[in-house]
Amino acid sequence: MKFEVINITKKFKEKTAVNNFSMVIHENECVGLIGPNGAGKSTLIQIIADILHADQGDILLNDKKISRMKREIGYLPQYPNFFHWMTAFETLLFMGELSGLSKLQLKKEIPILLEKVGLARDVYSKVGTFSGGMKQRLGIAQALLHKPSFILMDEPVSALDPIGRREVLNLLQEIKKEATILLSTHILSDAEEICERFVIIKNGMKIEDTTHAQLVNQNKEQAIYLTVDVINHRWLQHLANQPYVQKVVKVGPKIKVNVGNMEEDKRKLLHFILKQDVNVNSFEVGEKETLEEIFMKLVVDV
Amino acid sequence: MSTFTVLSKKEFTQQVRDFKIIWLPLVFILLGLTQPIMMYYLPMILNAVGGVEGITLDPSLTKVEGTEILASTLSSQFDQLGIIILVVALMSIVQNDQANGMMAFILSRPVTVFSYVSSKIVSHYVLVVVSVWLGFTVSYGYANYLFTTIPFTKMFLTILLYSVWLLFVVTLVTMMSTIFNSQAFIAMISLFVLLVLRMIVGLHPIMLLINPAGASVRAASFLSTGEIGDGWLVNILIVFLLVLLMVGYTNYRIRKKRF
Repeated sequence: MKFEVINITKKFKEKTAVNNFSMVIHENECVGLIGPNGAGKSTLIQIIADILHADQGDILLNDKKISRMKREIGYLPQYPNFFHWMTAFETLLFMGELSGLSKLQLKKEIPILLEKVGLARDVYSKVGTFSGGMKQRLGIAQALLHKPSFILMDEPVSALDPIGRREVLNLLQEIKKEATILLSTHILSDAEEICERFVIIKNGMKIEDTTHAQLVNQNKEQAIYLTVDVINHRWLQHLANQPYVQKVVKVGPKIKVNVGNMEEDKRKLLHFILKQDVNVNSFEVGEKETLEEIFMKLVVDV
Repeated sequence: MSTFTVLSKKEFTQQVRDFKIIWLPLVFILLGLTQPIMMYYLPMILNAVGGVEGITLDPSLTKVEGTEILASTLSSQFDQLGIIILVVALMSIVQNDQANGMMAFILSRPVTVFSYVSSKIVSHYVLVVVSVWLGFTVSYGYANYLFTTIPFTKMFLTILLYSVWLLFVVTLVTMMSTIFNSQAFIAMISLFVLLVLRMIVGLHPIMLLINPAGASVRAASFLSTGEIGDGWLVNILIVFLLVLLMVGYTNYRIRKKRF
């Protein structure tokens, strides 16, 4: 399987939602499409799902236009809405039949699938009584129903509470083993958990396409992290005034100190601290930087 | 199974779950009952309530035919309150799917816009026709019983002709339901168009030819006078043409949403 997005551009009146966007996804990859709100994630996903038309560009799945390959796509909208009067079973039967599956086959497979997404006890409950997490899982079930080779998910966990989020993330971990996935999110830690590859989109343009490891490597920044009993601002000022200190930032309970030459300067810093009247709890040299910090650096204009 | 069948089956199930399949026929049966019963008891009511002074019509002087009663069921019940109820029953058929995203969701499956639109129109047309026919049959029974006998074939041809007008009504409301987002607006515009069309039929003979409501007027006049009027075939063909145009436009609107 090979999935290609080629030079997609989409304008809404004056505003360009997606701007000359291209990417290729290979079999069994899991790609996280990340971007701030309004970056064009949903628009792009909807274009891929053939709900919206692109002004320019093509979406190809195995070298064929996506509009002719709908059977091969499992799509989960941002807010999956179902007919509230249908039961979970009926919903899947309806969606499955629309995809051209036989009733007999569906009757066999639906209970197994519902079991997989953790809705085994609610097979015959009305969808109207479902919680957000349950609807999302039903949405995932309908996306998997026709065994598509490519699964497309628009913000699968953003609207859920922590419990629902956990349920869905665990389910996605399972699905990932046997499918190619493209999911959009603005919550970094979710993408970090499921996907290996990230595509970062901003103002409709692709600004980064890397793996988790690469991203952290590229943006590696050595720093010294301190924790002290009481953070005294005058002392911090004093610290910042030392000639070898480049920058001092408070990061939560920690103090992050950037220095020019790690080997030499960390000794100087230690000496300095020992001479002061402060109770140091920890002193560590780290390369820690969360994906979130990297993301902020990439996306936010300073 | 084709997507059209799957979608129509879903519409049918929805009609059952919403009880539309019960209340719509019931409403038309009540409407059908009203005309013969009211006309039958009207003289007695007038006698009992009305005074002796002033001008009085002696009801026994005018002999009312069953056919006239049945014709007025169409023109004074179905074409007035009936139309209003139909519009209200149908106004949300596409609008609802659009508002909650179901339409986009359904169309993300291998489903053509045409099979979506046609399943909406066909399934609701069937429900409307069944309801109206039931109501009309009840009216026919009472008119037969309380007034004079009406030949069955005459009644059957009438309702067949009236169903052409119903097809126009269902398609028009479906189209409005696609164009506008507010239910109140859909209902208002549809009612306005339908009632105006129905009102202006009598203005000029040409109206009987090009106005879809002509089919309704012809149906009623065929019943009461036995005359269907000239150019009925052209009239019916024009109705079908308008229906096709509206289906085409509805398709176009839904497709255009994607651009």
